[in-house]
Amino acid sequence: MPLRGIRTTTAARNGAGAFILQCKRLDFHYCNSSGSSRGMVAFLQKTLPTFARENPQIEIRVSPRPQKHPLIKGLYINGREKPVCVRNLEPHDILKKAILLKEASGEKLKRTKKPVTSLNESVRGIWSPYHGDLRGV
Amino acid sequence: MFSRSALRSLTSELRWTAPSTISSAPLQRACLHQTASKMSSQQPEAQSSSTHPESPLSATPRAQDSQPSARRPGFDEMTMTPRARADVPIAKQPVAPTFTSPLKVTKSLMSQLPHLVGQKPHYIVAHLHARPYLLTEGDHIRLPFLMPNVKAGDILRFNRASAIGSRDFTMKGAPTVDERIYECRVRVTGVDAEPLRIKEKTKRRQRHVKQAKSKHRYTLMRVMDVRVKTPEELLAEGAVVVEDGQDGSVIEPRS
Repeated sequence: MPLRGIRTTTAARNGAGAFILQCKRLDFHYCNSSGSSRGMVAFLQKTLPTFARENPQIEIRVSPRPQKHPLIKGLYINGREKPVCVRNLEPHDILKKAILLKEASGEKLKRTKKPVTSLNESVRGIWSPYHGDLRGV
Repeated sequence: MFSRSALRSLTSELRWTAPSTISSAPLQRACLHQTASKMSSQQPEAQSSSTHPESPLSATPRAQDSQPSARRPGFDEMTMTPRARADVPIAKQPVAPTFTSPLKVTKSLMSQLPHLVGQKPHYIVAHLHARPYLLTEGDHIRLPFLMPNVKAGDILRFNRASAIGSRDFTMKGAPTVDERIYECRVRVTGVDAEPLRIKEKTKRRQRHVKQAKSKHRYTLMRVMDVRVKTPEELLAEGAVVVEDGQDGSVIEPRS
């Protein structure tokens, strides 16, 4: 078998050229009978149509889930999902949770210390003791 | 350029748009300075008859999926800068771009600039809230804070940089490089959070343990481009070549 070089594939750099929102779907679950869904039902009737109109790139599904607390579930391009329980919340608090799910990246939450992560090679190269001028101290 | 009546109407309009609730002196001075700088930028200048003052940042519009809303409070549509507001502390008031005079470039910088422009890729040391970020094109940034009033998809332009360079050349600013020499755009890609941190707080000789919870949120960004303008572009935008010896940015070759 002939030797083959390693094929390079392009790394995903969303936003460097085109930008695609990472949240692709939001599922809203509610219950008609339980009191913890009261805010959710009001949200679905009043706020959700405008929210959906402002975000046409997100698929929105609404489905009942009887005898359970209300829930918003976000599904992301990377295949992960993020559920948030919104029991006993007011409609404006539920909107905040929906915006949180919309703007999330879908990645697992991690604690990082460095602000910049780069896939590029170092611009100025690696320092070498054999190159460059001699320098006095 | 502009007739006098047009200028007068412009200044009266500016006076109306300036916040009237502000009473403290430095803020008013800031506003006055802004209007003054705008007025002087609108007036025709002897040496630069080009179109430079029309578009101070000379940012060419690129692919942008979310148009900024037409009317934003506290935002000046003409200079594309935030306006001074009464509810913001004086130390954090936005700084108006100091475009009262055309960009001055020394002869030596002009002669060395093609070397820097021609050598790709570039890096930039951009400053945001007095913190340096070393960026190249396509980098991912997670700011150590949540940036207010931005949403996913917005494009920002960094205009404070202490250094821009390539492999062999570095342009150093004193203290910052003039923002008309380069372009550095970043796109807001979303908001991230850290995992919930729980710190157990105890007092002496007490069984009670208090749990202090914190979960900070951070703004995510992606660097769209880092670009240095060519001498021809600078001259077309109204840059003035001056003699050496004045303070300004210098390009240092690698030793």
